Amino acid sequence: MEPVIETKGLTHVYIDADNNRVTALDGIDLQIMSGEFVAVIGANGSGKSTLARHFNALLLPTEGSVKVHGLDTLEEDNLWKIRQNTGMVFQNPDNQIVAAVVEEDVAFGPENIGVPAEELRKRVEEALRAVDMLDYREHAPHLLSGGQKQRVAIAGTLALGSDCIILDEPTAMLDPKGRREILHTMRKLNKEQHITVVYITHFMTEAMQAERVIVMDQGKIAFQGTPKEVFSRVDELEKLGLEAPLAAKFAFELRKSGARLPQGIITNEELAAALA
Amino acid sequence: MSIKLDHVSYTYMPGTPYEKEAVKDVSLEIQKGEFVAVIGHTGSGKSTLVQNLNGLLHPTQGTASLDGTDLSGKTGEAKQARGRIGMVFQYPEHQLFAETVYEDVAFGPRNLGLSSEEVEVRVREAMKFVGLDFDTYAPRSPFSLSGGQMRRAAIAGVVAMNPDYLILDEPSAGLDPGSRNNLFAEIMALYKKRGIGIIMVTHSMEEAAKYAKRMLVICKGQIILDGKPAEIFLKEKECLLNAGMDVPEVYKLADALRVKGMRLPYEITDAKLLLAEVKRRKGLK
Repeated sequence: MEPVIETKGLTHVYIDADNNRVTALDGIDLQIMSGEFVAVIGANGSGKSTLARHFNALLLPTEGSVKVHGLDTLEEDNLWKIRQNTGMVFQNPDNQIVAAVVEEDVAFGPENIGVPAEELRKRVEEALRAVDMLDYREHAPHLLSGGQKQRVAIAGTLALGSDCIILDEPTAMLDPKGRREILHTMRKLNKEQHITVVYITHFMTEAMQAERVIVMDQGKIAFQGTPKEVFSRVDELEKLGLEAPLAAKFAFELRKSGARLPQGIITNEELAAALA
Repeated sequence: MSIKLDHVSYTYMPGTPYEKEAVKDVSLEIQKGEFVAVIGHTGSGKSTLVQNLNGLLHPTQGTASLDGTDLSGKTGEAKQARGRIGMVFQYPEHQLFAETVYEDVAFGPRNLGLSSEEVEVRVREAMKFVGLDFDTYAPRSPFSLSGGQMRRAAIAGVVAMNPDYLILDEPSAGLDPGSRNNLFAEIMALYKKRGIGIIMVTHSMEEAAKYAKRMLVICKGQIILDGKPAEIFLKEKECLLNAGMDVPEVYKLADALRVKGMRLPYEITDAKLLLAEVKRRKGLK
């Protein structure tokens, strides 16, 4: 199977406001396979967002390479194709809305690449159905809730034909219900339409739902693995400014006090079952 | 000393087809020294409500006052009253503008007409409060700081005004867990040392439970619940879920343990207590 995204020795250096050279990414080797659901976690400034911006060529490598569907992001001729294949959804829903009607907002991307009217209508309808927003197609986006706005943004990437969606803290500004909606939508798209998902978040309870979790620290991948593997490393996560889920912390503390518990407890239900 | 809302309603764009009543007949009193969390889903009216609390918006009906002074007045007294209620907006780092951290924090106090010595004292104090070392950070560009530091610098600008009340609109949005804990350590130190009143809008049930002494749940422009966070999370789970909210993780863990037959006391509202209780039941030290 071919990776959707492949980075080799990816390094990103920029000059900050005080004229210092800052290495935001430091030799990242990474493969993301088709149909994967990958969460990326890390402290502020660890390089998560910079990494995500390399996945659709919003940023270009200082050294090393990024290939999306085998296309090198440093080749200018590839940019349109890469950006159609990998859609991005950002933190602030209000910064991503361009039209006054939901369906026009979703149509904006595909219309710009010259999708014919008939096909355009079909794509918009399918995309809005996929995120459960078809009933709102004629609504004004600014009157929607945060979770609904983010789902419209996700529909926009689907209508463009993206088979890989990168979400950079999509729930940071949402209420608990909005957070649940976004996670549910992305899991559904991943399962039913085999959309590859790269999900950056500060909410560990969200990262727990991924197949693979990548932990970033100072521009490098600190460690990665299944949620069970990653979130069992309670004290290492804390040293990196992160936090394990409550059940994992409890299991960690109880083991220290001599309890014999199986490895890999990260959910409340797993902990309850192990203690029963 | 208290901020008081007396039958306050607020309507956006009254008399137009877009008319929307965002706050409906709310009466509320918040004392200096209280720490109040305000929760509610997007569009519930909580931001409109807190902007009525500091005179940024003037009630369409009813009055908002600080110690009896109407916050929507045009007198010098009203202006002074508004100045005693500081507001930290969402993503305050987007409002940083000056060339150095010092200049940014000094902007407010300087506008109060203080002397440059007094301004410097205010800046030093405010930076200390938010945990930014003066000698290291004062001369630096605010845009060279990390996300968490930028937010602290922005909060320092409001703290430097020496407000009696501080309104925080989602102070931890977008911060990693470590930065969140640091930020709250500083907010709590400020709260305790200066005895100010804090009103915090948040989407995080964990933060409301951990830091606030009182919690308001807003739904459709009205306060549907008002009480101690622990009591609301224990007794009103259904109501919270229906309002698009949630309960903190520790309540969920306690429920999961109960489902599997562990007999825990009803009132467990804190992770440390729960851990101690589980250890006791399992005969662990």
